[in-house]
Amino acid sequence: MSALEIKHLFGLRGVSKNDIRLILDNAKQFREILERPVKKVPSLRGMTVVNLFFENSTRTRTSFELAEKRLSADTVNFTSSNSSVKKGETLVDTLRNIEAMKIDIVVVRHKGTGVPKFLADNSNAIIVNAGDGAHEHPTQALLDMLTIEEKLGTLEGKNVTIVGDIRHSRVARSNLWGMTTMGAHVTLCGPSTLVPRNTDLMDKITLESDVKKAVQNADAVIALRLQKERMDDALLPSMREYRNTFGITHDVLEYAKDNVLIMHPGPINRGVELDSEIADGDNSVILNQVTNGVAVRMAVLYLLAGGRANA
Amino acid sequence: MRNLIVDNVRPFVNGKFEKQTRMCLVDGVWSKDAPEGTETVDAKGALALPALFGLGLDFKEPLRDDIYTFKDGVEAMRRGGFYGGLYESCANAIDDSLKLAAIQQISAKFGLSIAFLGAYSNGYQCKDLSEMVELANSGVAGFGDGNQDCSRTRFLRLAMEYGSMTGKRFFFMPLDDSLRHHGLVHEGSYADTLGMKGIPRVAETIAVFRILEMARFLKVPVHFKQVSCGETLRLIENARSQGVDVTCDVDIYHLLFDDSCLFDLNSFYNVPMPFRSATDREALWQGLESGTVNAISVNHDPVLRQDKEVNFEDAVPGAVSLEVALPAIWKPLSERLGAARAVELLSTAPAQLAGVAASELAMGKPANVVFLNEDKPLDVGTSLFAGQVCNTPFLGKQLPSSIFGTYIGGMWKEV
Repeated sequence: MSALEIKHLFGLRGVSKNDIRLILDNAKQFREILERPVKKVPSLRGMTVVNLFFENSTRTRTSFELAEKRLSADTVNFTSSNSSVKKGETLVDTLRNIEAMKIDIVVVRHKGTGVPKFLADNSNAIIVNAGDGAHEHPTQALLDMLTIEEKLGTLEGKNVTIVGDIRHSRVARSNLWGMTTMGAHVTLCGPSTLVPRNTDLMDKITLESDVKKAVQNADAVIALRLQKERMDDALLPSMREYRNTFGITHDVLEYAKDNVLIMHPGPINRGVELDSEIADGDNSVILNQVTNGVAVRMAVLYLLAGGRANA
Repeated sequence: MRNLIVDNVRPFVNGKFEKQTRMCLVDGVWSKDAPEGTETVDAKGALALPALFGLGLDFKEPLRDDIYTFKDGVEAMRRGGFYGGLYESCANAIDDSLKLAAIQQISAKFGLSIAFLGAYSNGYQCKDLSEMVELANSGVAGFGDGNQDCSRTRFLRLAMEYGSMTGKRFFFMPLDDSLRHHGLVHEGSYADTLGMKGIPRVAETIAVFRILEMARFLKVPVHFKQVSCGETLRLIENARSQGVDVTCDVDIYHLLFDDSCLFDLNSFYNVPMPFRSATDREALWQGLESGTVNAISVNHDPVLRQDKEVNFEDAVPGAVSLEVALPAIWKPLSERLGAARAVELLSTAPAQLAGVAASELAMGKPANVVFLNEDKPLDVGTSLFAGQVCNTPFLGKQLPSSIFGTYIGGMWKEV
């Protein structure tokens, strides 16, 4: 087994093509294992993984937990609602206390950009980012990439369109770094208040404000969840106008390729960013994404842990 | 008072460095001779610069003396070669003459030349005017905002109008709070890449424009603290050409860092005025060259270790600078602008803004001196700093020059 160049997974910006390839190839193997009657492998037996979630999460935490259990790791869940953080403990003290209990891997979600790197700088554990602020959500992007490769064979030369609140989306950022590294072209589409204004550090991307144009050559369209708080903050006038201007509807898909893949990181606001008939339609691979999430997270944990046993 | 002979030193006199010589420092005065038996130290060719004047001091006492004290601050000044500074208490507004007298009393114990900014509103709340006339009569150097935006423009007008009776300058850190929103960093490529909430340049320029218009209308002198972008300098130049009495400073760190440092995600780069783009940084340097920028400020802002040992966005903004300012800035500044302009920007010009007598080196005159080895690098470790803080982006890094010692108010401090 080859080893990853990275020691932690903070994000996909700057991660090499070889590392992403290795994760995706391993994930494909784990994907096969997940189809077997016995879905468990002993790869992380004897290792302890802490899921350190300072933000609410259902699907990502569940997906990580399943991945850890499928790899035979011991898992502990630590959420801010039941933690010493509420009693005023600093992040670094929280980490050091957990580390003193001899854990090996920390999977962390936090509202602050760079928290995974901060934890890595202050501990010896392997750190996996499960979402930090609007910065990165690398395993979500990896599962998106795995899903596209599974359906289309490769990312090289493919056109991927991401629609929605790009500015506040860690999913969009991880996807654009990962997918462009793997040779895809990424188009970002959203209201002008919800797309980044300064994109000169983002290679190989296109900004498009017309969703019909944005989907025209797309091989895959990723619709992002629209947070209701964006209306409170005067970034958008209404859900209604958003749906009519940027929602992925049957009318919009008239402009897309017949076989375009429809993706969403979940949870979906049906009738806002994605119409129900599209979310549940033939082109939708949303549930494949969910399944691939477990496989990708197994691959990431396995490879970062050094692949101590054969899958 | 300590007497000292400093041998092999190059004093800065009348705008240039003299040849290597000996300085006799007797009872705080640069004298021709020293009494027999006076200790001699070998400066090994170090530069002898007039001690510096720090714009933007806040030693947190009395309300936050758990973080830092006046004594800590004075120790930092002595280590860093500062004979004086302009103090603005952001945690505890100096908004009446009793508070001013109390802090003046503390300051007087240490014998440095520290001037104070009064608050133009009570508690920096921009609801009630402070007693500006009494504060002025009691010796404030000017009136400040405590680095907080005054969003109530009518109040700003009334404060400046009332304060105009004193003839004092108003000092503002220009940042429109509403445009700042929850931003912590410059709104640019790096913030967008990292998904961090940005502060656009217009948050600064709109605040500047509003204040300049008020200054023009009311004929009140104003100063902008910690200018961070090129557009602001253009607004200032334009206002000056129309007769507005406006001065400004740039923070030392803004001359040395730009927003590319954000990729480190190091909370020590979290400062109240964000580091802007490389283009802005270059514009600030050009502002120093052209004279648009009047002075370099230090904005010494102590933050406890536990408030910095967190991720970037949860860190308390602020950086200390007194101990590292000269070692960090001297080489790039003197190489680009010349030694005379460097001394002016770090010492005489900031002192003038605070209404404090300049520090100059001349035989037979009181001497406040900082001895600098300009080519001896300094490794920045925690022991360099006074008090219990060390919140500087330079921590763990190497600076191009190092301070050999300082002689301020007749006290010798070997660093």
